[in-house]
Amino acid sequence: MAAAMPGASVASPLRLLFAALIRPLGGDAEPLSEDAIARLVDQARAGDTGARHTLYVQHVDRVFRTVRGMLRSAADAEDVTQDAMLTVLTSLHKYTPRADARFAAWVMTIAVNTARRRFRRRRPALTPTGELPEIPDDGADPADGLDRARRRRALLIALAELSERERVIVSLRYGAELNASEIGVAVGVEPATIRKILERARTRLGARIEGLLAPAGGMR
Amino acid sequence: MNDDELAGAWTTIEPTVDQRRRIDAHVFAWLEARDTTLAAEWLGLLRLRPFSAAGLVAVSAVTVATAPPLMWLALALW
Repeated sequence: MAAAMPGASVASPLRLLFAALIRPLGGDAEPLSEDAIARLVDQARAGDTGARHTLYVQHVDRVFRTVRGMLRSAADAEDVTQDAMLTVLTSLHKYTPRADARFAAWVMTIAVNTARRRFRRRRPALTPTGELPEIPDDGADPADGLDRARRRRALLIALAELSERERVIVSLRYGAELNASEIGVAVGVEPATIRKILERARTRLGARIEGLLAPAGGMR
Repeated sequence: MNDDELAGAWTTIEPTVDQRRRIDAHVFAWLEARDTTLAAEWLGLLRLRPFSAAGLVAVSAVTVATAPPLMWLALALW
């Protein structure tokens, strides 16, 4: 879970070049250590737009896949990611480092709050039984393989069957790669409770995905 | 499914190249607009739209020239 990567220290020109090269491909940047992130935050606060850009590249895909797990559509996830990343980059002066949570946990707290505002706005769109409707748009990339598309659809269907709180917590765990303490910080719940919810949701989610992907599961 | 398999499942909901491009474009356009000062906007206008800029400067000059006498007249009549 630790973000520290051996050899990842400062945002060298080579690293910035690498980040710039992979950005058009939509991939995650090579993760930086928490110390390097802290230095980038300081530089970005001082007006360094390069540091701000590196922080963006470090977190944008993680924010997207986290909020995609919470929301019903790829379009919503896109909007929330934009709004959340803008809030992060324009609120860096409000960030206070914590011993029990990485910078990513602060970013994800903003992402969760942004997504929750959208939940509130969309509540009337829920079905009478309180369940989420069928996934209208899974954001499939035509370039993706059939197997990847099946696995994505199975995940989205299984997530839609969880409660809102479970969706948020498992998305923070597997999408944002936060630990129980950091998830607790992000959602304001005790880590012990987070672990219990995670255990229950993981079992349900895993069983449902396996059922959907099994030959008789009905997904082709 | 174990932890690693579930983490692997989440990689299928990464943004597509098009989604990522749209997010990048929106965020950086907004940040660029926020970072650009009013003076830089004017300089950019002068550089990119000389005719529009000349028109704006002319209107501004006419306003500056005519406003004081008009105000003086209005105050005198009031």
